[in-house]
Amino acid sequence: MKKTINIPLGSQHISLLEPVRFKFECENEKIIGVDSDVGFVHRGVEKACTTSFKFDSIGYVVARVCGLCAITHSLTYTAAIEKLLGAEITSKAKYLRILLLELDRIHSHMLCLAHTCENAGFEAMFMRIMGDRELIMEIQELITGNRIQFDYINIGGVNRDLDVNSVQKVKENLYEVKQKVQGYMDEFTNNWSLSLKFKGIGALSLDEAYMYNAIGPLARASGLRIDVRNEIDYLPYNEVGYKMQTHTDGDINARNIVRLNEIVNSIEMCENILNGVPEGEIVTKVKGKPEGETVVRFEAPRGELMYYVKANGTAMLERVRIKTPTFSCIPAFSHIFLGEEYADAPAVLASFDPCMSCTAK
Amino acid sequence: MFDLKKYRKKSPWILHYNAGSCNGCDIEILAALSPKYDLERFGVINTGNPKQSDIFLVTGPVTYRTRERLVELYTQMPEPKVVIAVGSCACTGCVFRDMYNVEVGIDRYIPVDVYVPGCASSPELIIDGVVKGLEILEHKSKEMEKPFKLFKAATIDDGIVNRRHSALKVGEDDAKD
Ligand code: SF4
Repeated sequence: MKKTINIPLGSQHISLLEPVRFKFECENEKIIGVDSDVGFVHRGVEKACTTSFKFDSIGYVVARVCGLCAITHSLTYTAAIEKLLGAEITSKAKYLRILLLELDRIHSHMLCLAHTCENAGFEAMFMRIMGDRELIMEIQELITGNRIQFDYINIGGVNRDLDVNSVQKVKENLYEVKQKVQGYMDEFTNNWSLSLKFKGIGALSLDEAYMYNAIGPLARASGLRIDVRNEIDYLPYNEVGYKMQTHTDGDINARNIVRLNEIVNSIEMCENILNGVPEGEIVTKVKGKPEGETVVRFEAPRGELMYYVKANGTAMLERVRIKTPTFSCIPAFSHIFLGEEYADAPAVLASFDPCMSCTAK
Repeated sequence: MFDLKKYRKKSPWILHYNAGSCNGCDIEILAALSPKYDLERFGVINTGNPKQSDIFLVTGPVTYRTRERLVELYTQMPEPKVVIAVGSCACTGCVFRDMYNVEVGIDRYIPVDVYVPGCASSPELIIDGVVKGLEILEHKSKEMEKPFKLFKAATIDDGIVNRRHSALKVGEDDAKD
């Protein structure tokens, strides 16, 4: 007789936004084998970028690859084109870009924390974090005009100037969020029943993180010090007070703490930016058609996002290749599941913060 | 007596399916359920089970691999049911229109009652859409109560009666014929 049972999870599941299917092979509640299937939402964006859109509109198309890190997608693509065209953007535009990037990171991390709590069975915390997340959405709407999918970045700069009247409101909301995050910090470290669900579950050691090539908060929670914000000089990250956050445990709790610390750091960066936005134009005119090839990397909320763009001097590009963070993390994901209880699977999964829209494109 | 129809109108349960969206609209649905907008205070609950749901919220253009599940989920839901297409993607395909793996909106596969536009459509719009859907739900359940006449009276002059034409459809007003 067969000793193991196969349990499917997905593609439609109440606590997962993403259409992804996992097949867990279980032996007495323990997971001993994982099979994942992520191709449900493949739309063919890469192909469409080279056949039906001109290079100056692709920035808005690739933003639709993912709703959560849309701004990182469009920024990475735009940076690649600016590199090919040899365009210099003003420092004010650079600062505004970082501001939006960090706001995006804050709300993405908050959503992830909320989800992890919900999947561990802590509904009240989910509601609390989601309610506070609205403060960030509000100021995003104030700055850019839309809550999600704001097409803020264009080639040569940004689309909207910072309104002097709204800066005050933005600061107030950021301050409020900072207070709330301290509260979560307390809850996540001291709540006993949460610690049963989070501490020591789904651990990834430093060696394994290294071996399976983990990136983003997943790697930083295991103590691997990689962060693209530290490695690029395209945006002035060092000037605005960026600090790398790491943890050593590598379990769900460590990932939550890393995310919380990153939120605090991002808020500090936003405050610094708001206090010292340089004067100047927000857009510079960029002329010409791109030619040549380039690779540009940025840190999305989930890890390193990489774009490869090849152009041949016409309005149509030759190749756009998108390597998304979740894609690189899949080996590490599959490894973590082995040996865990099946009941913990949703919480473990939510703590990775997977984005299938990005992965399948 | 226990009156299912009354409660269905007061607390509709929704089923949410992502048919290839970018997650933007899905997050907005979540936001509509969370404290600031709080659809849950009206009894709207996000269920994972198609057999308990009355309202089907679909986001995203239909991709090649999600269309089977979409139709399957739709057929598993009990009558009466309302389908709401959330976001420009689900209505018309948005930027994904004409890409090789997607369709232009979900109404090729299942009938849609309410279209909610916007990329991403905001929680306020989604709430409006759900409220609109409730009206349709009520109308549909009233129609279901009527005794179902299989054939209308033969009104065509030449004497040929097509069964397809004369069958009474749900939603059609009785007074019209
Ligand atoms: S309508 Fe816009 S935000 Fe909504 S799923 Fe489509 S691309 Fe994403």
